[in-house]
Parts: sequence; structure tokens; C-alpha cells
Amino acid sequence: MAGQRELHFYLAGINNQNFLMRDRETGSWWQQANGRAIAGPLAGSSLELVPNDELTFALWKAESPQGIVLAPVAGREKEYDGKWEEETAKYPTPFSFSGHGLADRDVVLGVSIGQQARAYPLTKVRGATPVVDRVAGTPITLVTGPDNVSVRIFRTELNGAEIELYRDAGAEWRLIDTSGNTWSFAGCATSGPTKGECLEKINYLKDYWFDWKNYNPRTTVYSR
Amino acid sequence: MKPKTGLGLALCLLTLVSFCMFFIPAFVIRPFRYQSPRALAIAISLKSLAPVVTLVLGLAIAVLALFLWKRVSILGRVFAVIAILLGIGSAVMARQNYFEWMFHPIAAAGFLPASDAKLGDNEMVMALRIGDEARAYPILQMAYHHILNETIAGTPVVVTY
Repeated sequence: MAGQRELHFYLAGINNQNFLMRDRETGSWWQQANGRAIAGPLAGSSLELVPNDELTFALWKAESPQGIVLAPVAGREKEYDGKWEEETAKYPTPFSFSGHGLADRDVVLGVSIGQQARAYPLTKVRGATPVVDRVAGTPITLVTGPDNVSVRIFRTELNGAEIELYRDAGAEWRLIDTSGNTWSFAGCATSGPTKGECLEKINYLKDYWFDWKNYNPRTTVYSR
Repeated sequence: MKPKTGLGLALCLLTLVSFCMFFIPAFVIRPFRYQSPRALAIAISLKSLAPVVTLVLGLAIAVLALFLWKRVSILGRVFAVIAILLGIGSAVMARQNYFEWMFHPIAAAGFLPASDAKLGDNEMVMALRIGDEARAYPILQMAYHHILNETIAGTPVVVTY
């Protein structure tokens, strides 16, 4: 929505490998990477990013058993290319940013808090050890779920105090903190003194490094 | 300059402009090609004007070509036909969204309950939860369709990948 007006979008083009869309209501042009209108009557407006996750189907189903899944469009199933990521990786990028130890098509999780942007290379943050960091003064932790694939980012602050999350060393996935709370992958305390409370989830953009850097020129890169 | 020559030149110019209104944006806004912000801004302006401008030019080209028809040689008539075809072609193409030929949009989204969806455990989905409604969008499908407009728990959203 823009203001109070509901908009409907369609694919309209591509700009340096990120797609452009237009809304039917005003014909304005919008960049997909940041939801900003770059031309037309609504130029300068921004769409509000809805909190979302990228998860494995099994994990999503376990968290939302009553949820619904987009069905494949009848007749289009053969267009869904299981190898799209591999094939896209072969294409050259419109520009290249060297000097951060990242290849252009390395996948990063891009976080933007306040005026600060930070890129987390996926291979560095996906794993058994939660990654603790700080962006614009906000303490955050990147946690990999029980499927070893899905990643969520939480603001590790509760009632004004910082908390430290870490994985229990046992065989089963268990996320705990130093105050005796156990946390679910959804970011809510399932047992302990703060049972029932939930941590704020931080949005990230899963993107190719070159695209994230293009839209966040002053981004820093996590490199531990 | 003879009036006929002047009109002939005008016909060429109109045809060229009409063609450019379609071709320049199509050339600039191409996948895998670098675009400078300025080039993109020009391409977007042209593309936004093209549907109306190519229509007007197409009519002008047709009128001019028909006017010149009896007054030119066979060669002149060949050029006139080319001009008319280019004029019509540009006016038609300016109204086509060929990106949607490549990536067919979802006309009416259907949904399955989680228990009925035939996805592998490790297939990636984009997950949204608004109010009490939880929805999953398989990345495999969204990487093709790119855009889905819909409403979840009364909130209009556009899902993009």
C-alpha cells in the first residue's frame, strides 16, 4: 500500500539484475531490492517490508501446521527450474565490488538497522554456533534452526537487558541462555524465568553480495 | 526541396522516432546488462510515453504513406510499406509486456493446506505470518513468477522474489 491506496504490481523490467515492477494504479516504477518507487507519480515512496522468513518446508510445517502453501500454477510446472540458482551463478554481474573477500555472487544476509547496513556471508553464519554481533548499537544473534539450513536473526535484548544465546552441546537442537531459559527457533522462551516472552525478529535480505552492496554502498561485512 | 521529398523525409523521421520509442527502452532494460541511473531514467520515460506516442505516430505514418502512395515510384512505395509496418510494429510492441512472456504471472493463486502440499522437506519457502494466517511460498515457484499480489488477514501484500 502507498498512503491509503492499495496497489497491484506487475513485472516490468530489470535494472542491473534486480527486477523492476510497476503498479497498475499509477504506473510508477518500483525497485524490488528495496521496495522504493524510482519513477512515476509515486516516485520516492517506499513499500513497508513485511517480516518474513526463508525456511525449509519441513521446519515451516512444524511451526505452522495450520498454514497454507502456494500451489503450483497448472500448466506452468515445467517452467519451475530446480537448477535456477546454479544457472544464474554462471551469468556475469553488471558490476563487481572487490576488497571484502567476497565474490560477486556470494550469498549474504543483509541487515539494515538505523543508518547502518551489514552483510553476513551465509557460509559464515549458518552453523551450530549462534553468531553474536551488533548493528547500530543493537545486539543481535544469528541462529541456525534444527534443519541446519534456516537462519533467523533476533534482537537479543529483553526488558532492557542483553541476553546471550547459545546452543546446548547435546545431540538435539536446544537454544539456551545464561539465565536458565530455553528458547525455540521462533524466538520465544519455552521454559525458564522469562517463559512466554519472545525476542524481536530482525528482518534480513538474502541477496547476492554485488546486489546488496549496490543498494547499500556503505555496508560493512561480518568477517569473523 | 520538393514537397514530396520533404514529406518523404518527414515519413522517415516519424518512423525512426516511433521505432526508437520502442527500441531504446527494450535495449536499455535488458537482463544481464549494466544500466547507469541516467540511461535507466531515460528508458523509463520513453517507455512510459511510448504507448500513446507510438499510436499517434503510427497514425501519422499511415496518413503520410497513403498520401505519398500515388506520388512516388515503386521504390518509394516499398519504403512506404516498410514505414507502415514499422509504425504498426512499434505501436504494438510498445503495449506488450514481454517480461511476462518470459515469466508468466500468477493470475489466480491457489493454496493447499500444509499437510497436502507436495514439497520436499528441504525445499525452501518464503514464510509470512500476519495475524492468525501463516502462508508459505515455495522459492522454486516464486523464482519463476517473481511477483504475487494478495491479501493476508486483510493486509494487501506483494510477495516478490
